[in-house]
Amino acid sequence: MLELYTSEPNTFFLKPLIALHEKGVDFTMRWMDTDQLEHFALDLSGEVEARLHLEREGPLLRHDGTLISGSFFMLEYIAEAFPGEPLLADAPYDQYRARACGQFLGAHLGSLVPLLGCVRYLAPRLAAMDRSLLDAALARVEPQERRASWLALVDGSYTPQILGTARERLKFPVSRVESLLAGGDWLAGPRYTIADIDAFAMLRVIPDLAPEVLNERDTPRTWDYLQRVTARPAVTKALATSRSGRPGQHFVPGVEPSRWG
Amino acid sequence: MTVHLYHWEPNANSGKPMLALAEKGVEFESHYIDLLRFDQHQPDYLKINPDGTIPAMVHGDRVFTESTPMMEYVDDAFDGPPLKPTDPKERWRMRWWMRFFDAYFAPSLSMIGWSVFVGPAVRQRPKEELEAAIARIPLESRRIAWRKAMFNEFTEAELTESRRRVQYCTGILEGHLSRHEWIAGPRYSLGDANGFNLGYALPLSQPDHCNDAKTPHIMEWLRRIYERPATRQIWALGRTAMAQRVKFLERAPHA
Repeated sequence: MLELYTSEPNTFFLKPLIALHEKGVDFTMRWMDTDQLEHFALDLSGEVEARLHLEREGPLLRHDGTLISGSFFMLEYIAEAFPGEPLLADAPYDQYRARACGQFLGAHLGSLVPLLGCVRYLAPRLAAMDRSLLDAALARVEPQERRASWLALVDGSYTPQILGTARERLKFPVSRVESLLAGGDWLAGPRYTIADIDAFAMLRVIPDLAPEVLNERDTPRTWDYLQRVTARPAVTKALATSRSGRPGQHFVPGVEPSRWG
Repeated sequence: MTVHLYHWEPNANSGKPMLALAEKGVEFESHYIDLLRFDQHQPDYLKINPDGTIPAMVHGDRVFTESTPMMEYVDDAFDGPPLKPTDPKERWRMRWWMRFFDAYFAPSLSMIGWSVFVGPAVRQRPKEELEAAIARIPLESRRIAWRKAMFNEFTEAELTESRRRVQYCTGILEGHLSRHEWIAGPRYSLGDANGFNLGYALPLSQPDHCNDAKTPHIMEWLRRIYERPATRQIWALGRTAMAQRVKFLERAPHA
C-alpha cells in the first residue's frame, strides 16, 4: 500500500509526485489543504522522523506502514524502492553529485524560495483567518521553531530588509545551477535524475518570485533547463493534481535559515 | 588510485570521511589542514576546494567537498564491509538521521563549540590579521561564522537557544537509541559514524544532560563505536586535545 500525503503540487510537495509518475507507480493521494492547516491534524505521535519534519513542512509517503519524510530522501527512496524509469545515476561519482546537489540546494533554495513564496501568497491567507484557529492548530506542533515559522508570517516579522536579503542570497544557488548546467543538460551526470526533480521543484517558481534572479537573459541555461523538465509527461501529470489551477501560488514554510546569521 | 583526504581533527565534518574510509579498510593519504591557522583559506587549498571548506577528498581526478555525500561515495565506490543498510526503508532512515545530525543538531552544538573553543583559540591574534583572514574566506556564510567566533559576537539569546536545542536533540537521540541498537538497520552504518563525530564529546561538553543516568543508551552507543578498531585508528590521528576527549568513553575496568 502506497499513500502520498500531499497538497498543492509546488516546492516540496511537487517532488515525490513527479518521481512517482516517472516511475509509473500506483499510489493513493491523501490531500491536505495546507492553506487551511489540515496537515497539522495528522496523528504522527509514534513517528519521530515524520513528526519532526527536518524541512519544517512537506509531503509524507506511507509505504507498507513506514512513513517516509524529507523531500530529497523521499526521492532517493522512490528511486531505490520501485522498478521503472531509473532516477539515479549509475556511476558512484554521479550519485555523489546528485546528493551533494540535493544537500546544497536543499539548504539554500529550500529556505529562500518558501520564504519569498509564503510572504507573497500564504501570509495574506493566514491574515484573513481567525487567529484562534491558527493558534489551536499550532499548539501541539514540534519542534517549536516549526510553529514559529507560521507565526512569523502573521506577526509581520519579515521586513522588507529581510526579504531583500533573501532575494539577494537567492543569486548564489541559482548561479551554482547555471554553472553546473554548463557541463551538460542535467545536474548530476549524463541523464535526468532525482537531482533534477529536486532542483526543478524549487527553481520553477523563482521567475515569478524573483524574476531578476532567474530569467532568460541572465541565466539562459537554467531557463532552458526549466523548459526541458517542464516538457516531461510526468511533470505535466504531477502539476495536473492541482485543485486550485495555480500550484505555483501555494507555499509552506521551508527549511530554517542558518541560525548563524 | 590513491585517495587524498584533506581534513582537520577527527571531529565533526572532517572525521566523517576519515571514519568511513577506515571502516571500509581504504588507505588514504592524509593532508592535515589546520582550521585554527586558516589553512583552508590558503591558495594551495583553494585550488582543491574553491569554497574553502573542509574536508575535501580527491580520488583520481574527482573532487568531493560535501562530507556526508562523501561518506556515501566511500561506501559505494570501494570494496569492504557495506556501511549502508540493504533495506531501502532503513537506508532512508539512515539518511534522515544524518540530516538530523548535520542540519539540526550540529549547528547548535557547533555554535557553542565555536564560542567556547574556536573563538578563544584565535582571538588573541592582532585584529588586522583576523580581518585579513576573514577577507580571504570565499563563502559569505563562513565569513559570518568566523567573524562571530573571532570577535565573540554571539548574543546570549543565540547561545541560550543553541543550548536548548542541544538538550532537545539529545533527548530525541536518546529516545531513538532506546528503541534501536544502531541508528538505522541491524548493523553499524554511516549513520552511526556520522553521529559519533557529532556526539563523541557530548558527555564532556554537556555533562548535565548527557550521562549514564540520563542518557544511558547514548552512552552505550558511543562506547560501542569507540571500541571499533576503525574509531581507534582515526582518533589516533588527532593532534590536539580535542581528539583526546574521546578517551572519556573508555569503559571502567571491572572491579
